[in-house]
Amino acid sequence: MATETLDAPPTLGALYGRALLTARSGGDTLPDRTLELAGTTIDADAVADYAHVCGFRVGGDVPLTYPHMLAFPLQMRLMTDREFPLPAPGMVHLRNVISQRRALEVGEPLTLRVHAERLVSHPKGAQVDLVANVSTPDGEDTWHSRSTYFVRGAQADDAAEPAPPEPAPVVGDRPHAVWKVPGDIGRRYAAVSGDVNPIHINSLAAKAFGMPGTIAHGMWSKARVLAALSGRYGPASTVDAVFRAPLRTPSTALLYTAAAKDGWDAALRSSKGKDHLLLTIRPSS
Amino acid sequence: MASPRRAAVVGANRIPFARSNGAYARASNSDMLTAALDGLVARFGLADERVGEVVAGAVLKHSRDFNLTREAVLASRLSPWTPTYDVQQACGTGLEAAVLIANKIALGQVESGIAGGVDTTSDAPIAVNEDLREVLLAANRAKSTAGVVKALAGLRPGQIVPEIPANREPGTGMSMGEHTAITAAHWAISRTAQDELTALSHQNLAKAYDAGFFDDLMTPYLGLTKDNNLRADSSVEKLGKLKPVFFPAGADKAEATMTAGNSTPLTDGAATVLLASDEWAAERGLPVLAHVVDAETAAVDYVHGDEGLLMAPAYAVPRMLERNGLTLQDFDFYEIHEAFASTVLATLAAWESPQFCKERLGLDAPLGSIDRGKLNVHGSSLAAGHPFAATGARIVPTLAKILHENGGGRGLISICAAGGQGVVAILEA
Repeated sequence: MATETLDAPPTLGALYGRALLTARSGGDTLPDRTLELAGTTIDADAVADYAHVCGFRVGGDVPLTYPHMLAFPLQMRLMTDREFPLPAPGMVHLRNVISQRRALEVGEPLTLRVHAERLVSHPKGAQVDLVANVSTPDGEDTWHSRSTYFVRGAQADDAAEPAPPEPAPVVGDRPHAVWKVPGDIGRRYAAVSGDVNPIHINSLAAKAFGMPGTIAHGMWSKARVLAALSGRYGPASTVDAVFRAPLRTPSTALLYTAAAKDGWDAALRSSKGKDHLLLTIRPSS
Repeated sequence: MASPRRAAVVGANRIPFARSNGAYARASNSDMLTAALDGLVARFGLADERVGEVVAGAVLKHSRDFNLTREAVLASRLSPWTPTYDVQQACGTGLEAAVLIANKIALGQVESGIAGGVDTTSDAPIAVNEDLREVLLAANRAKSTAGVVKALAGLRPGQIVPEIPANREPGTGMSMGEHTAITAAHWAISRTAQDELTALSHQNLAKAYDAGFFDDLMTPYLGLTKDNNLRADSSVEKLGKLKPVFFPAGADKAEATMTAGNSTPLTDGAATVLLASDEWAAERGLPVLAHVVDAETAAVDYVHGDEGLLMAPAYAVPRMLERNGLTLQDFDFYEIHEAFASTVLATLAAWESPQFCKERLGLDAPLGSIDRGKLNVHGSSLAAGHPFAATGARIVPTLAKILHENGGGRGLISICAAGGQGVVAILEA
């Protein structure tokens, strides 16, 4: 796979504009290249903004989900290419697995690499994996993420091999927290993540993409659940999350947690008991 | 474990407790704490006296009240040379303040001290919207006029909406009532049992007032001479007509048993208690009602640990009993704070449960049941109300006086607190 080196992080607003306005040719195959951005760093103020929106403590370890903020613009750059086989607007996040060897540090030079793989059919469309890696200049792989996105009605070949098993958290029947998910959480998370996908911000746009109204970013709910379990897991963890029914904003959500043998299980559900998010935390292997 | 010497409970003064947004709506924490202190000063002739320390606190506190107790002492008749400090342990504040003073007396570091607590839910601090706060703080940090203007450009009309404090646990988003509804359902505490305990609390408190029990424990304030939450004619029938107000999250509403009757109301009020060495009391010809024998605190993981928010005393008491070589039945009186009727009943049920005592407390046998005729004999928070930080300073002298009037004996105090904490203590006379 070829490597395309970037000098600076792509600007997300422009990418969304391009995605919405440019006629797509929509090729059949995924781009055969890896985007690379070297010498990037994590900014303390940006982490503080992110922590405020997601409920993390400011000044602790950089949240395990935070490097996604760095990788996401590169993912969008790949996905908004005219030739990318699936359209970026209205894409739905199905699953995200992040594995971290250690907590990243503010200011340390990092190299990001992002590529797409596993374009396969889904019972209702097609899905694709965007894979991101963070490494240090001396080649230490510290952070790895795989995001699976779904596009309704799109087409792709069936998978040659079965998908890895989904996380299956085991939790009790009493919620451990009741969250009032604010109506503006989509706007707030967009402001810190750059993910200005309109389904999170504008209810008309959300309805145009088949949503009941604005919905929370999946990566916000994942981060919020991790923040709720602060202090209960170590930095060298793998956090596997599947996103089920969209979490509408505003709404009330119930968090269920349980200690597992070697980690934590969690489920985020609607007040009617529908699963939004199923998540497991395990030590990184 | 014998302490060097035991601190004496000499006496107390509180103001009547008032339901929120009523009689004390215009009074601040500082006003009420000063009033309670001045009544104590008058009762025990402490005008211009320097006691060893005054330790008090409030749960809901304005940021300007960082030195609440010191300001109250300066405004009171006590000597302005009296040192103070504030403590805050949610609903355990008043008892913890008394324990801190008792410990200093036991060690000989002070000869006397006043513990207290105060809370108002009427004059509560209102915070600005979090977004507005961030904008204003950013403007404050800006070093140039242009920087200030740039920061203030972030102002939006929606940021005017203030934040009013709620008794919600930050970690769970659930109110204390909602948490307790889960505990009540877990222990299958019936509506009837809760209403019976509530009616008894009102009846017992009313009887104590009629008998003049509070005459030397209270001074009138803003037109009140007794707690205005008290319903002397309370009955299980009347309480039974109330609708549930707290529901266990994520469960069938049919499980709800907690009403505004069998839960404590939001309350305003202040309480103080005078502690001293026996020598200090004797020098002044003051009585010794009882001694502080021991105290213990505990905390539970109510966030992810599947324990009830208000169940920490169930853990603290057995630890304290073991240290003192006592059983749960070795007490003449029990004062278990009635945050909710179901809290008292769930705590008693836990101590009776072989499974809880084995799995959670690691005990071979359950602590067992208590003689309910010895429980909260002069009423408790369901009837009197519960100004969070003041409750401990209400209960300590109440129990001390009960023991004194009994001609001696041993009493247990158990107070649950927000944050999954609990403070418990033993008094003897």
